[in-house]
Amino acid sequence: MNSNNKLNIKPKDENLYLPEKATITKIKNFTDKELFFELELQNNKPLGHIPGQFIQLSILGIGEAPISISSPPGADNKFEICVRAVGDVTNKLHSFNVGDEIFIRGPFGHGFDDSIIQKMYRKHILFIAGGIGYVPLRSLINKVLKEPELYEKISILYGCKTPDEIMYKEEIAEVAEMGKNIEFLKTVDHGDENWTGNTGVITTLIPQVKFNPLNTIAIIAGPPVMYKFVLISLINKGMPKSNIYMSLERRMKCGVGKCGHCKMEGIYVCKEGPVFNYADIENNEEVL
Amino acid sequence: MNGKFRKISKKDLLIGLDRIINDGRKLAALTRKGEKVLYDYVTKSDEILMQYIPTVLSPKKFFLPQDEVILEYTTKGKVTAKIEAESMVLFGIKPCDLHGIKILDEAFAESNGDPNYLAKREKSLIIGLDCSRLCDEKAFCYKVNAQNITTGCDFMLHNTGIDFAVTVYTEKGAEQLDKYFQTEIKSENILDDFNQAKAAAFSKFGTFKQLKQLPEIFENNKNHSVWQTEGDKCLSCGSCILVCPTCYCFDVADEMALNLKKGERIRRWDACMLNSFAVVAGNDNFREEPKDRLKHRINRKFNYLMKKHGESVCVGCGRCVRACLVNISPKTIAETITGELSTGG
Repeated sequence: MNSNNKLNIKPKDENLYLPEKATITKIKNFTDKELFFELELQNNKPLGHIPGQFIQLSILGIGEAPISISSPPGADNKFEICVRAVGDVTNKLHSFNVGDEIFIRGPFGHGFDDSIIQKMYRKHILFIAGGIGYVPLRSLINKVLKEPELYEKISILYGCKTPDEIMYKEEIAEVAEMGKNIEFLKTVDHGDENWTGNTGVITTLIPQVKFNPLNTIAIIAGPPVMYKFVLISLINKGMPKSNIYMSLERRMKCGVGKCGHCKMEGIYVCKEGPVFNYADIENNEEVL
Repeated sequence: MNGKFRKISKKDLLIGLDRIINDGRKLAALTRKGEKVLYDYVTKSDEILMQYIPTVLSPKKFFLPQDEVILEYTTKGKVTAKIEAESMVLFGIKPCDLHGIKILDEAFAESNGDPNYLAKREKSLIIGLDCSRLCDEKAFCYKVNAQNITTGCDFMLHNTGIDFAVTVYTEKGAEQLDKYFQTEIKSENILDDFNQAKAAAFSKFGTFKQLKQLPEIFENNKNHSVWQTEGDKCLSCGSCILVCPTCYCFDVADEMALNLKKGERIRRWDACMLNSFAVVAGNDNFREEPKDRLKHRINRKFNYLMKKHGESVCVGCGRCVRACLVNISPKTIAETITGELSTGG
């Protein structure tokens, strides 16, 4: 018999499309468009994620959408997300209250796994987040900030269009005050009358950070246009491509490498990403 | 099997197929509905067409239906997974489509096995019917050698003119063949004549000259002018994808019942040739132009997925060529890129 007929087509016990119930335990109003949610899994198990992974969030009757997990891995059954109202699911979620139930599947994707974290030890870590790109990085940022002594230095650059769009304002203020080897730089494209900080796109912050490109790991998330200019800027500084990690956004429908929506040439972003080393995808034409 | 050859008479074949139906199992086969020839469920063996006429849709629809409920829920928050899988027999599936089923099996069984596809597939018996000649001028199975692929079925029939020679591929096939069909064991090789006739009918057609190197060639030709010229013709209608036996991308949507008390999550065919397919929040589109989408689709067949499956994911059935309103053909594109077209290969 032909070996090709030996493929195991027996269905698995677990149904990967069946979501778990979660309760909204906290909501905070961040900006006009973004809300912070704390969610509690009703199965009492921790989500079991690593930084950089995402969930598929369901609202029954409306649909499902991929959402980044913004809290660091924890031991309890709670985790956090921050959601901008841009589509059907996210707009509906914004109308929900504490105590309401939603459904989730996941965690999915290849995040900042142990091999990446080990590569980061004793290095200068340069986070570069544009707009809502801060959310997928926050899980890793907060993990790194728990043990800052493991890294040579931690620089966090965060750019938004206007001061109103800055999220996690209180938390950011605290981080900026932590001192030691931690620095936090913010910029906005357009300031208002109360804004006294940096003005300009995020690349204008890069020259303000002193870093040795060979001993620095850059971690980037933001809108596609931001990556283009940040990458040029870092590479011009002499940073090796393999020192750059990016968290990419696609609109996954399944989250498990089947539906094809997140395909970037031959790569399923939902399985092989959303976290990528730039050296691995630099020749892929569909990244940005 | 066992160095012996089995054959089945036409009469016994039809009797066996009727036994399957009478056993309460669904039997799908090539049949006629009005003017149309298609794969559909039949209620009697005499509704089955033995002579292949190309169908618009491939048998993939039996395992990955156009619309499929994957979850049912109530607004009170009770969610249940829904899997509809009935015991089913597919009869008369051609080598190109068997190749397609094999690709889908690999895609859906991989790592996180797809519960709905696999349940349907597990409960199915697939009976192949070999081709003795090219079905029409649009088919190009010979370009990827898909006319000779006989995997993906449980057993295969070869029409020798008088009766059918049988090749068994799986244990399930052997068991089901014995259960429903009266066969005869022959000591002489009754397949020889069929194989010779088939080889003669296909002798003037050859594979792509660099079939094995196609992924590499496509990888190196991302900027070839053919993407622009063919992309400019493309109407982005998505027909090529709906008729393709190896396109399996899907969309997922929630639909509420009219009473708003319950609803369903439905997965349905989607098409990467449609403009909206790669759009993300903020309306960024990662494949904005028809040429980007065409390049993506054809590279999935001859490059990205070919690397993964180890063989061409385009099976040359010709369905997309028949469906295309502006004559875009994977064969022409591949021949242009490999240079076969200009050298008259």
